[in-house]
Amino acid sequence: MQPTSTMNEEFLKKWQMGLQMFRPSIDNASVSERKRAIKLSADVAMASLRKGTTCWSRALIQKTATEDNFLVRQMLSGIKEETLINKKLPKVMCHRKIVRRSKKILMRRKSRSAMEEVAAKAKKLVKRKTQGLRNVVPGGEFMSNNVLLIQETLDYIVSLQTQVNVMRSIVDAAEAGIER
Amino acid sequence: MDPTGVSGARSNGGGATREATGLESLHLGDEFRQDNVGGGFTALLELPPTQAVKLLHFADSPSSSSQAATVTGIVPPLHHSYETLTFPSNSALLMERAARFSGETTTSSVPSTSSVKTEPADETNSSQAAVNNRSGKRKDSDKKTEILKKKKNKSSEENEKLPYVHVRARRGQATDSHSLAERARREKINARMKLLQELVPGCDKIQGTALVLDEIINHVQSLQRQVEMLSMRLASVNPRIDFNLDTILGSENGSLMDGSFSGTAMQVVWPHQVIETEQSYHQRQLQQPQQWPFDVLNQRAWGREEDQVHGNDSANLHPNQVKMEL
Repeated sequence: MQPTSTMNEEFLKKWQMGLQMFRPSIDNASVSERKRAIKLSADVAMASLRKGTTCWSRALIQKTATEDNFLVRQMLSGIKEETLINKKLPKVMCHRKIVRRSKKILMRRKSRSAMEEVAAKAKKLVKRKTQGLRNVVPGGEFMSNNVLLIQETLDYIVSLQTQVNVMRSIVDAAEAGIER
Repeated sequence: MDPTGVSGARSNGGGATREATGLESLHLGDEFRQDNVGGGFTALLELPPTQAVKLLHFADSPSSSSQAATVTGIVPPLHHSYETLTFPSNSALLMERAARFSGETTTSSVPSTSSVKTEPADETNSSQAAVNNRSGKRKDSDKKTEILKKKKNKSSEENEKLPYVHVRARRGQATDSHSLAERARREKINARMKLLQELVPGCDKIQGTALVLDEIINHVQSLQRQVEMLSMRLASVNPRIDFNLDTILGSENGSLMDGSFSGTAMQVVWPHQVIETEQSYHQRQLQQPQQWPFDVLNQRAWGREEDQVHGNDSANLHPNQVKMEL
C-alpha cells in the first residue's frame, strides 16, 4: 500500500498546524532548534494521522513529549494523555554471563543433529533481527508478539513514506523559491 | 520451489493411494516402486497408514491384483482399520525403503488451510510432512500415534460443521490445540512478511526471513534519516521560509498532491507544477478557497514584521511582499 493523496494532505495540514504553534519560539532560534521543532511537528503530525489506533503512533507521541510542547501534542493529536500510556513489557534482567554459561551447558546435553543446529542458528539470527526491528520502530518494545510487530512496521513504513514525500516537495519548492 | 515437482509427487502419491485401496491384497511393492521412482520417504507416507505398514511388512513381493482396486474404497478404509496396525519394529527397514524413494518431494508448498477432500488433502499434507519428517525430529514410535491421532482428527473435523476456520492437521504433525494455534500464528506472520516484502523495494528476490528483516530495518532507518535531512534543510533554508510555508501551502496543496505523488487520483483540479513563481502563487490564491485559518496565521506570523502591513487580508498576499520575505 502506497501513501494516498488524502494521507498526504492530512499530514500537510497537521504539520502546518504544528509549525504555526511553534512560530513564536522559532523566530530567533538557531538552526538546530528550528530543525528540532520542524521534525517534532512532523512526527506528531504523522503519528496523529493514525489517531492512536496503532502502537507506534502512541509511542512516538510519547517519545516527543516534553513539558513545553504538551499543548502542541495535545491539540495536534486530539488524543488524551491517558490513552497514550503503553503497557511496558516486563524486562527480565539477567546476568549475561550466567545466562550464556547455562545455555552452553544445555546445548551440550542435547543430542544434536546437523539439521537441528542449522535450524537453531537460523532461529537465533531471526531473533536478533526482530530485536533490531524493535529498536528501530517506535514502541517496538511494547509489542508483545511478532505478528503485531510486523503489522506495526507495515503501517509505520507507509506513514514514513508520506512524511518523506510531503517534506521533500515542500523543501524542494522552498529552495527553488529561494533561488529566484 | 518447484511446483511441477511437487505436483508430480502429488499425482504419484495419488496414484499410489488409489492403487493401494485393496486392503487385502498387499503385494504393492513393485507398482509402488514403479510409480514413485525418486519419491522420498514422503511417498511412503502418502499411503494411508494401513497400507504403509502392511506394505512394509510384506515388502518386495510382487503383485498384480491390486490394479483392480477401486478408488472409491479409499475413504472408508482410512477411518476404520487403523486400530489393527502394528508398526514395523525394524526401523531400519523403513529407512531403507525411504532411501530408495528419495528426491521427488523435496520442497513443500504452503499448505492450504481450507477443508479439502481426503485425497487431495493427503497429497498436500504429504509434501509438508516430508519436510517435517526430514527434520528428523520425530521418532518412529511417535509417528504411529500421531498418524492415528491425525486420522481421528480428520474424521472428527469432517463430521462437525463449525463456524471456525478449518485447519487441516497435517500428516506427521501433532494435533493438539497448542500446535494448531502455533501454526496459525506462523501463517499469519508469513502472510504479513509477504506484504512487507512487496512494500520494501528489492525484497522480493531475497529469500530467508533474516535477510528480509535486514532489508526492512535498513529501509526504515533510511527513511528516518531522510526525514532528519529534510527537516535540517528546511530549517536552514531561511528563517523566513516558515512563513512562506503557510502561503505556499494554500496554493501548493493541490499541486503537491498532483505533481509529486504518483499514482494518486486527481481530487483537486489544480495546476500541476510544484515549483511556482510568486505571481502564480498569488493568482492561485485568489482562485482557490482558503482552507487554512489564514487570519490567525497572519496575525501571528506577520505580527513581528513591522515593515509589512498585511492586516487581515489573508487571501491577497501581494507578490512583492512575498518576495521581500525571501
